Amino acid sequence: MTSIPEQLAEVLPVVRAHADRCDEEARFPRESLDALRASGLMGMLVPRRYGGLGADLRTFSDTAQELAGACLSTAMIWAMHGQQADAVVRHAGLRLAHELLPRIGRGEVYLASVTTEPGKGGHLLSAAAALTSEDGLLHFDRAGPVVTGAEYADGFLITLRAAPDAHSSQVSLVYAERGQVAVELTGDWNPLGMRGTDSVGVRLKGSVGQDQLVGRQGEFRAIAVDSMIPVGHIAWASCWLGAARAAYQRFIRLLTSRDRPRGIDLQSPLTAERLARIRTDLELVSGYLHGVIAEVDDLRATGRGGEEPALHIHLNTLKLAASELAFAASDRMVQLAGLTLGYQRESPLRLERLFRDLRSAALNYANDRLLTANGNLCLLDRRVRLISTPLRQTDPG
Amino acid sequence: MTVPWDERFEGVLRPNLPLLAPDAGLALDASLAALGLDSLQTVSLLVELEETYEVVVPDDALNAETFASPSSLWEQISALLSKSGSGGGQ
Repeated sequence: MTSIPEQLAEVLPVVRAHADRCDEEARFPRESLDALRASGLMGMLVPRRYGGLGADLRTFSDTAQELAGACLSTAMIWAMHGQQADAVVRHAGLRLAHELLPRIGRGEVYLASVTTEPGKGGHLLSAAAALTSEDGLLHFDRAGPVVTGAEYADGFLITLRAAPDAHSSQVSLVYAERGQVAVELTGDWNPLGMRGTDSVGVRLKGSVGQDQLVGRQGEFRAIAVDSMIPVGHIAWASCWLGAARAAYQRFIRLLTSRDRPRGIDLQSPLTAERLARIRTDLELVSGYLHGVIAEVDDLRATGRGGEEPALHIHLNTLKLAASELAFAASDRMVQLAGLTLGYQRESPLRLERLFRDLRSAALNYANDRLLTANGNLCLLDRRVRLISTPLRQTDPG
Repeated sequence: MTVPWDERFEGVLRPNLPLLAPDAGLALDASLAALGLDSLQTVSLLVELEETYEVVVPDDALNAETFASPSSLWEQISALLSKSGSGGGQ
C-alpha cells in the first residue's frame, strides 16, 4: 500500500494543472476529484476495517493544507467530504456503515453536505423542510441554496426537520444516494472566489430507507457537536491556512531567487516588517489549529470535555481566526507584491486568486453568527479556560 | 406529578424555555435544549437562579450536563443550597 505522502504526490500535479481553468470557468474540478478518488485519499477518515486509510485529524489537516496549496476549491471539496465521512463513521447505524463506508474508502462515493436552507440565515442546527414517514420510507423535498458539488456528488447528507409537527430545532440527518434523489438545479454559481466549488442552488426530492437516518431522530445536534463542527472547522482552517502558506512560500522563494523583482527592496525595513507580519498571521493560525486538533483528539480519546463551553469557544475561535488572519495575510501579500506581481491574474504568485478565494472565508458560515454565539458562551466560561490549558485546573481527578 | 423542586425553581425556569407551552407539565428528564434553551437563554437562566437562591454555581458545573434537564439542574442547585445551609458554600 502506498503512503499518504506518495498518494498526495500523485494527486497534486493533477490538482495544480486544473486549478486555473476551474477558477476561470467556475467549473467543478472533475479531473482533480477523479485523481483523488483513484488515490485512496477520499477514504482518509474511514477506518481501516472498512478499507479506508484510518488517518488521524492531524494527517487530515496536513493533507488539506497540501491540497489547498495547489487549488483551494479542490481542497475544500475534499475536506468537506472528509467532514461528512467522519459523521457517517461516528454516527451511522451498522447497516448503513457496512454498506457505505467501504465505498467511500474505495473512492466510489463522494459526499456532499446539504445544511443550508432558504430563510434560516445559514443556521446549522435548525431546519425548515420536514421529513415525512410513509410506507416504511422517509420522504423529503428540500431546497438547498448553496450545495458544494451538488452536480457531482454520489451521495448527500441532508439535514431536515425531524417530522412535520417537530420544532425547527429538532433536526434529523439522512443519507441519500444520488439515485434516490431528484436533483433540480435552482441557482447558478458565479462568485468572486472559490469558483471551482460549484456550490449551486438545488432542490432535492427523494425517499430513503429508515436505516439511512444518521444518528437518532431529531438529534442532529449531537452529530454536529461531536463531528461536523469540530471536523468542519479544522477542515476549513486547514484549507485556508494551506492556501495562504503556499502563496507565501512561492513569494519567499521568488524573493530569494535570481528572478527576484527589483521593485521589492530586501534591505528595506518596510519589506522585512511586512514579511514578518504575514508570517505572524500564518504562525498564529497554525498554532491555534494544532491546539484545537489536540483538544478534539483528547476529547475523542477520553470522552471528557465535550460539554464544556470553552471547547465550543475554541472551535468557533479557530474558524474566526483562520478566516480573518488567512485573508489578512493574502491582503498583505498583495500589498507587498504590488500591482504587477500581486494584483495581476497571470502573476506566477497567483495572489489575485488567493485574495478572491479567501474573501469567502468570513462568509462561509458567517463569522457574525459565530461571534454572537461565542460572546454568549464566554459568559458561561467564567474560568476563562484558554486553548491548550488543562480541562480542569483545580480538579486533581 | 410530584417534583423535587420548589415553586421558585419552575418560576425561573419556565420563562427561559420558549418552546414549553404554558399549560404543559415539566418532566424531570425533559431536554432543556429541545425546549429552546440556547446559550443566550442559559446565561439568563443561570443569573436568575443564582439571584433567586443566593448561590454561585461553581465553574466546573457550568456545562451542558448541568443544563441538560430540569432534574440535572435542580440537583446542582439543591446541592449548593444544602451546602450553604450547613455553613459551607463557595
